[in-house]
Amino acid sequence: MSATLLPEQRASARSAADRAAALGAVLRAALILIVCFVVLFPVYWMVLNAIQPGEFSLTWPPALIPRGLEWSNFARLFEDKPIVEWLLMSTYVAAIVVVVTLIVVVPAAYALSRLRWRGRNLLGLFLLFTQIMPGAMIVAPELTLFRAFGWTDNLTMLALLHAAFVVPLCTWILKASFDAVPGEIVEAALVDGCNHWQTLFSVVLPLTRPGLVAVSVVAFFFSWNEYLFSSALITRSGLYTGSLGLATLITQLDTPLFVLMAAGVTFSVLPILFYLAIQRHILRGLTAGAVKG
Amino acid sequence: MSSAATVASAAGPGRRFRWNASGSSAYWLILPLLALEAVFLVYAIVTGMAASVEGPAGGFDLSNFSQMLVDPDFWRIMGRTLVFTVLVDIIILVAGLGVALLMNWQFRGRAAVRGLLTIPWAIPEVPVAITFIFMIDPTFGVFNLLARMLPGVTQNPQWTLNPTLAMAIVIIVTVWKGFPFYSLVLLSALQAVPEELYEAAKLDGASAGRQFLHVTLPGIRPSIALLAVLAFIYSMQQFTLIWLITGGGPVDATMTLAPAIYMQAFRFYNFNYASAMAVVGLIFAAMATVAFIAVQRRLTSETP
Repeated sequence: MSATLLPEQRASARSAADRAAALGAVLRAALILIVCFVVLFPVYWMVLNAIQPGEFSLTWPPALIPRGLEWSNFARLFEDKPIVEWLLMSTYVAAIVVVVTLIVVVPAAYALSRLRWRGRNLLGLFLLFTQIMPGAMIVAPELTLFRAFGWTDNLTMLALLHAAFVVPLCTWILKASFDAVPGEIVEAALVDGCNHWQTLFSVVLPLTRPGLVAVSVVAFFFSWNEYLFSSALITRSGLYTGSLGLATLITQLDTPLFVLMAAGVTFSVLPILFYLAIQRHILRGLTAGAVKG
Repeated sequence: MSSAATVASAAGPGRRFRWNASGSSAYWLILPLLALEAVFLVYAIVTGMAASVEGPAGGFDLSNFSQMLVDPDFWRIMGRTLVFTVLVDIIILVAGLGVALLMNWQFRGRAAVRGLLTIPWAIPEVPVAITFIFMIDPTFGVFNLLARMLPGVTQNPQWTLNPTLAMAIVIIVTVWKGFPFYSLVLLSALQAVPEELYEAAKLDGASAGRQFLHVTLPGIRPSIALLAVLAFIYSMQQFTLIWLITGGGPVDATMTLAPAIYMQAFRFYNFNYASAMAVVGLIFAAMATVAFIAVQRRLTSETP
């Protein structure tokens, strides 16, 4: 935007083409700012109403800039609501999901990428199908299954279910990464007498770190975000994850607004920081295949 | 997040490397995956399908389906699902492409802007729902400021009591939460369009608009086609945002297939009827898979 303030004389001294380019740059900068404003406004609104004194949030018309800072909103949240427990439960479930997903996905992606075997295409089709199946479809049968085995109110079993949902797409992501490892390197390792496991761990995996990061993050995000199955399978409030706990706050009419917003901010901070830290990896790891299209 | 893998798979099988390993070791490698999926997914899918063809008295019975097909409510749900998915599909692709074009410009701070513009993707759905519920609050919500700018609007609208507004809100929130993924994929597609094509177009005197129509769009068309299928699938699955923001209301105005199945199963306890609706969802998902594979086939045959 600072380009708008350029001295008039300097601009007029330039050729017409330069002026048009400068105007284009200004318009672009303005457009970028407007789009950023629109996209980030809900995030800003959540943060604003989490950090300003509660009485300023409940006014009409709403003020667009903070009228004060009230960090004790977060103290209220941590005192009044078991947010720490919720975050711990979410972390526990997400950690299991990441570990189980990696254990399951690494050998499967290797088999899909590097080995020829009968049923390979069938497995690919199956993985695609599970991915596009609407989750709401199978909530009731899952509940029946969990009840039959006494797995309801069991976070470890919920984590395994999350893993089952996220494994198909993680297999695809990692398979694409494995595909990108040059065949000669793998061949050389096998000629040198490595078996498949040694080849996988000492040659293929070190070369596919972005893929492994992407898979872990996808698994973590899925679990951290998941609400539908958690709400059906976890009923004891002592076991609530962040998603479940926050959702109950919506229906508790006595929850002050700033506590709601502070809870939203607290629950979102970890995935946002995570995302920004590995943003480049994600872009590379996730869209590697799409580039070719 | 979940859309990434299918797009990644569009790269096609990496046939760069072949060797005939003994088949059996492959089966050991996929055994953990098969075990996990069998217990936690396949079993539920199969029992769900079995429940859909079970009558009130038990035994094989197609009455759930015959009841469903003559139920005007069911067709209203399908109509709403169609409206929701098609609108989300179009808007998310247009928004995704617009932001991708913007992120593709060369400017200082581009990486930071790219990170900022894709943040909604990283925020979990429940906090997103909480924020938007407050933003559309009829008394204090900031959306009212926007609405009041329109001519003739002198009162704060009742966002969740008006069927059209409620549908508009769930579409807006779904697009806002989901578009960054589409932007990222389209951005990488944009960057893969060969620079020579633009230079050739410039030499021919093509304007920026014509370059977009004749170079950019054809270059990213395959990605757009794939993303359109994905957007359809994922918006059909949307449950959490709709459920928390409108609960399917007012009077079912935002009750698409996913929340409707949940409602049948967990509010009315019609497990068998819910399963029959779920099978219809499954059939649509299968049709989408076929469309997806057809698109993918055409892509692999088009790209050298």
